[in-house]
Amino acid sequence: MITKTLNRAMITLPLLVIALALAGCWTAPTANVQPKGEARLIQSAIPVESVKHRVTVQSIDADRRVIVLNFSEGATATFKPGPQVANIHQIRAGDKVRATVAQELTIYVLKNGQVPGTGGKPETLEADAKVLRVNPSYRLLTLQYPNGQAQTFKVGLDVKLLEMEPGDIVVIRAMELIALRAENP
Amino acid sequence: MKPHQRLLRSCLRACASIGLILAGQLPLPAQSQITPGQAGQVRSVIGNRVEALTILGGDYGLGDGTYHYTGNSIGNSHSNIDTNISKIGGYGEVGDPQQLGGLGIGWQPRFQGSVGYLDSKNKFDSGLLKNDTSESRIFAIQFGGGARFWLNEHLSLAPTFMGMFGHTTNEYTANSAFMVANLPQARRVGLVDWNADTWTVRPALDIQYVYIWDRTIFTLSSDPTYFHTKSFSSSNSNVSIGGDSETWANKIDVDIPLGKQLYGHELRTGGYFSRTELFDDIKAGLNNGHVYEVHGRLVLDFLNQFWKAQWIGIGGSYFWGSNFSGWSVGADVAFRF
Repeated sequence: MITKTLNRAMITLPLLVIALALAGCWTAPTANVQPKGEARLIQSAIPVESVKHRVTVQSIDADRRVIVLNFSEGATATFKPGPQVANIHQIRAGDKVRATVAQELTIYVLKNGQVPGTGGKPETLEADAKVLRVNPSYRLLTLQYPNGQAQTFKVGLDVKLLEMEPGDIVVIRAMELIALRAENP
Repeated sequence: MKPHQRLLRSCLRACASIGLILAGQLPLPAQSQITPGQAGQVRSVIGNRVEALTILGGDYGLGDGTYHYTGNSIGNSHSNIDTNISKIGGYGEVGDPQQLGGLGIGWQPRFQGSVGYLDSKNKFDSGLLKNDTSESRIFAIQFGGGARFWLNEHLSLAPTFMGMFGHTTNEYTANSAFMVANLPQARRVGLVDWNADTWTVRPALDIQYVYIWDRTIFTLSSDPTYFHTKSFSSSNSNVSIGGDSETWANKIDVDIPLGKQLYGHELRTGGYFSRTELFDDIKAGLNNGHVYEVHGRLVLDFLNQFWKAQWIGIGGSYFWGSNFSGWSVGADVAFRF
């Protein structure tokens, strides 16, 4: 029996070696690549829900329900929290909070930092993030922010993930503050 | 991390065998007692069976169930076996692949573990052992790990090493005239009413090729695995279990998203087909050279939506080998850490 096992191992091993020989090199995913194809808009207004940790409250006016948040990736956004954010009076400027934000993503392929705008006139866009990884099977889109942090979103069935690839430019629009929770300093 | 109902089905067969060996080897109508030659023969075969049971009952996977098995007649005795197996365990890689030094290889740590408990009652309903019951209980715990090395985005190798502890107890209830007369001798020579602790080491290699077409994931895998088992304590000095077993599983798995949602989660279907070759003691213990399995599942996608769950749903398998067949249905749960 041992002989038979060894025989099988001897068959397997060359196959393994051939497979290794044919194998290319693994490369870590990177967002700093130029995507294929012409500069274009791939899809706009992709709704996602983002949970942001260690967000700093820059300023807050609880009576007028206006809050300015400073996200760890460097972006700052002003929100008018909806009625579901009931604990706004307990939050102070300088607090570290966990914020759940409804966002819309717009994905572009840029060439030389530009995309064709209205009438075909090139427009310059500033990226909020870049696409790092795309998993169309499980509908996962991983973005990398300018500070190097990565975040993965589960996106809807209608999102054109098969057209997206690492290096695509993402413009993020914060829509609504859904929840706010104080975190330990 | 998927249920391994194949293991449960195989356990049934092994449990059945222990009782049937006793039935086949011991109770020749003309004999009034057990000869040393017969005792040695039975002990050797029981050793293979216990080794096979410990491996199959304790090897990592996830699944449990209650089964009934009717053994084939050996000698002049026929038996019915009721087996309950509870098992929880699985395997998985942690995190995303990281670059290995300056090499063009990605790697992830991999962990594997399992805890299993098996209770099998073998009731003899004819022959010289009629009305006797042989009950086997096995508890096994297994843990280990390794790493998965990605050679490119499709091909990866995962060498792993595991250790397993197994505790097997046999209890024999004698009601037949033959065993009532021979029970003290059978106990003395270590054929019945014994317990033993075993350790097993399990080096293995998982070779995997992943191919994605549109949104469908095809995974081809090949798993040569080696087991070395040894008993290190037993209630009877005549009970000694040990030996080598090898398995080689080759599998194709298909994971298909259906594009329809239920309660906010996408439905997925798929399954796998596998053939597992058995060598050495496990082959002798199960009296089978290979096992085929076809598995289907219908699950909901929870990846990135609920803790570390990848999917939760139901699955079912059909198994067949050179001389047995079976099926099982149960929860199909996969995690991604």
